[in-house]
Amino acid sequence: MLKMTGINKVFRTDLVETHALRDITLHVEEGEFITITGPSGCGKTTFLNIAGLLETYTQGEYLLDGQNVSALGDYQRAKLRNQKIGFIFQSFNLMPDLNLFDNVDVPLRYRGMKAAERKSRIEKALDSVGLLSRKKHLPSQLSGGQQQRVAIARALVGEPRFLLADEPTGNLDSNTAEGVMELLENINASGTTIIMVTHDPSIASRSARNIHILDGRIAEPQTIAHTETGQLGSVSQASAKTASAA
Amino acid sequence: MFMYYIRLSLLSYRRNPVLSTLMVLAVAIGIGAYMVIFTLNYYVGGDPIPAKSDKLFHVQFDYGDPAVPNSTPPPQLTYIDATALLNLTTQHPRTATSKFSAIIEPEGNDIRPFAVDGRGNFADFFTMFDVPFQYGSGWDRSADDSNQQVIVLSQELNERLFGGGNSVGETILMHGYNFTVVGVLDRWVPIPKFYDLNNGSLNPGEEAYIPWNLIVAMELRRSGSTNCWKAPEGSGFQAFLNAECAWIQYWVQLDSTADQSAYRDLIDNYAAQQKQIGRMLFPLEKRLFDVNEWLLEQEAQPPETRMLAALAAMLLAVCLLNTVGLLLSKFLGKSAELGVRQALGAHKGSLFIQHVIEAGFIGAVGGILGVGVAYLGLQGMYLLLGDFLSTGWLRLDITVVAVTIGLAIASTIVAGLYPIWRACNINPAIHLKLQ
Amino acid sequence: MEVGPIFRALTRNKLGVVLIAVQIAFTMTVIVNAVFIINDRNGKMGRPSGMDEANTFYITSIGFGENFNEAVTAAEDLDMIRQLPGVLHASMTSALPVSGSGSSTGVTVVAGQRESSVPTAVYYVNENALSTMGLELIAGTDFTANDVLARDNSSNSLPNNIIISAALADVMFPELGTRAVGQTIYNASEQPLRIIGIVQQLQGPWPEWPFVEQAMLSPLHVIDGTSTYLVRAEPGQRDRLMVEVEEMLAASNGERILRGLSSMEDTREQSYRVDRAISKILYVVIATLVFITAMGIVGLAVFSINRRKKQIGTRRALGATQGEILRYFLLENLMITSCGVVLGAALTLGFNMFLVQSLDMPRLDWYYAPVGMLLLILVGQLAVIGPSQGAARIAPALATRSV
Repeated sequence: MLKMTGINKVFRTDLVETHALRDITLHVEEGEFITITGPSGCGKTTFLNIAGLLETYTQGEYLLDGQNVSALGDYQRAKLRNQKIGFIFQSFNLMPDLNLFDNVDVPLRYRGMKAAERKSRIEKALDSVGLLSRKKHLPSQLSGGQQQRVAIARALVGEPRFLLADEPTGNLDSNTAEGVMELLENINASGTTIIMVTHDPSIASRSARNIHILDGRIAEPQTIAHTETGQLGSVSQASAKTASAA
Repeated sequence: MFMYYIRLSLLSYRRNPVLSTLMVLAVAIGIGAYMVIFTLNYYVGGDPIPAKSDKLFHVQFDYGDPAVPNSTPPPQLTYIDATALLNLTTQHPRTATSKFSAIIEPEGNDIRPFAVDGRGNFADFFTMFDVPFQYGSGWDRSADDSNQQVIVLSQELNERLFGGGNSVGETILMHGYNFTVVGVLDRWVPIPKFYDLNNGSLNPGEEAYIPWNLIVAMELRRSGSTNCWKAPEGSGFQAFLNAECAWIQYWVQLDSTADQSAYRDLIDNYAAQQKQIGRMLFPLEKRLFDVNEWLLEQEAQPPETRMLAALAAMLLAVCLLNTVGLLLSKFLGKSAELGVRQALGAHKGSLFIQHVIEAGFIGAVGGILGVGVAYLGLQGMYLLLGDFLSTGWLRLDITVVAVTIGLAIASTIVAGLYPIWRACNINPAIHLKLQ
Repeated sequence: MEVGPIFRALTRNKLGVVLIAVQIAFTMTVIVNAVFIINDRNGKMGRPSGMDEANTFYITSIGFGENFNEAVTAAEDLDMIRQLPGVLHASMTSALPVSGSGSSTGVTVVAGQRESSVPTAVYYVNENALSTMGLELIAGTDFTANDVLARDNSSNSLPNNIIISAALADVMFPELGTRAVGQTIYNASEQPLRIIGIVQQLQGPWPEWPFVEQAMLSPLHVIDGTSTYLVRAEPGQRDRLMVEVEEMLAASNGERILRGLSSMEDTREQSYRVDRAISKILYVVIATLVFITAMGIVGLAVFSINRRKKQIGTRRALGATQGEILRYFLLENLMITSCGVVLGAALTLGFNMFLVQSLDMPRLDWYYAPVGMLLLILVGQLAVIGPSQGAARIAPALATRSV
């Protein structure tokens, strides 16, 4: 599904070179739920952006669904994002002047779908997060948790194989966060691969596999279970380390 | 997708209503003002007879006193030269023409006698200048030769004398002579009045047209301008006719370049002959001017229009610079949205199109408002210059409206290119994390 | 004090700065030149013609019919007009200043010396012209009835005596000036004309004519069927008399028509109509530009402040007072505007050169550009004051809020 080998990312300005990611090698299989943890500025988000084709990398190889993405231009990268990847952000990033229906509509527009099909998909997606009745509302009329549900509906409406979430519960209180997490777990259970950045160890602990990034590297040793048998509750050393640091 | 982008443009407008309205106003005022000046210049400086302007020629001779410093040759012909040219060749349509004024004494006592501005001309005048007729037509060349007392009325004069009805065949008492009406003009307002620029290039045309020879035969009061560079020898009307006094415009229609060069040779020869007998001593390089050359030579376009054009261009430039700045702010202010759209699958091309349409949308709204501004501007021009401009020529037709809106859309998009380019090239990643 | 940091911050937004600066430069160019054109035209419109324009009007009588006798009619008409209460003077003239129509000729000091010919407007008048026009005789004597020659078109002869404007005397006799009374000049047909008087000022009929101040009066009445009567009324009586004179003349003789009744003030209004219109157009252009530019500055300021809200909050949190925030934005605007007006000064002079060449306008007076610069700096400061106050009110707490 996702196969990174020796990915490096260097930000260059006139004065400094910053190594955001160093030699990241990671294989993600179809249907996994992976959490990424690490301290602020460790490169979590850069990793997610590269995985989501929002940023390019300096060195290495990245195969998405068997396709090498390093040579792709903006147009093809956009198409891949549109069809295979869904994004969820910490601050939801809903468009403030579009109502819920239109917000969920955005990725479908870029797919060039017929109006009737768009409508049925949008309504299904909104229904699945329990907000169909409010499809005419503007994001500002919703609570934070509801907004994040809409964002999830928007990420899912194109039926991507692969969901990238950047601190999706970071701006939510614990009750709401729990609801969002349950929703994501249900989505994962129905087959969608999820990679989620978080700094909350209790959330990280709910994933089958946790990657800890430190100073742009994947911290060694890796998770205990590199097999597909990892179950809930298998706490990695890395997340334990974070917890102890916190 | 187009309609989707239009809807996004509308939403975007509503998101920053003040900023967007400022842009619309800037475009509207800039384009509106530009169109007012453009319309003015188009009419004042445009080609008054586009179909034939390169076939109609005005003749100029080497007039003036070479001893007098800084003098320019008067732009008309003397009686001697006009009559000589008329007889030099009759192969091409040609006309000598000049203004007169006379008193018309209407029949009965309903209308008091009144003065009219008239024009003496040859039969060819009407066909050469494509003069439109409402009733009847001009007269035959034979009427020119036999001094027939025929008259063509302007629409206004026909209205005044005959209530606008078909007056062909009626008789008019003018300057003590009876004239038979042979034709009534339709509305004819060439701007500028290229065939006689001597008394104001924007002035309305004359009210009555008669065979030119009658001006001399009846000794009508000539009312155009007269330039003498030598005092008449002797006194009286005949002495004036023989004098070096220019008061006649002379036009000839030359359809082919061969005709034109042949005619040029003809008048060059004539001028050379005249030089030998001591006339035409003022050095002149060019004697034959087509309509547009003549307008340029005579500076028919007021210099003020060029100044206004420059000012209007600067006004438009300021408005568009304003738009560039505001669009830049607006589009860069949407960085987060652009980032999200890219994450959701928009490629740069679709963002580019979205923003071109958004800029075009602002341009279109500005353009529609600009038509209103242009309308008000032209109304203002009327108020200020009303009786200088023949009525009804400054108007907004469908072409001007279309050009205004089109120009507004195009210039706003051009103004938006750099802001759009910047907006499409933001790094989406940095704008997704926090707002 | 904070110029350095503001300047460095501005260099990071070069385009925004350039856009406003160029806009201000263009605005200044248009405004300064427009004001200059308006003043120039007002100056031209304000030039006196030498006449008592406020109280004079004129009307033309055109005779027709076989029994019409112009000489008799004119004498009778003028007598009748003079008898109307409120009329000060009445006379005949062939043309009027400012009206745009009349005749001119070239005169020389030495007969036949055409290369030194001086252009002058010619007014053919009768003996009451000076008092009717309200001209001020500064040397010599007025015409008398004996000077006046009446003739028809079959002759070219001119009366011997003339009165000229002081400007014409200065051009023809630079050493003598007003002492030129008694000198003889010659017209194009080398006819001698003796200067018997000089008037302080009399303009020719064409306001745009380069020799507009050069004019001469000749006591000639050409009998060609047309006479123009000029009437000078007592102050306040003009409008009433205009109506009365026209009615009286219309009733007195059926073999003529009356045309062109107009006061001198109306004539001036008509003649300068284009100039007046252009002045008004320019006022509208100036107002529009100031508005657009100010709004542009406001728009961009509001936006840049919104973008920097957090930064402003942080400054406040770090101890900046409201006054300091306000000053920051005013200073920032001052720096941008200053660049604009310097560029604007150059453009202004460039556009003035274009006007000098294409419109024969004079050069800009030295003080126009600096005044324009100050004015635009002021406009910039006023425009940015509202948004800056908004910025100053941003709460320090904003610094710590994350969304």
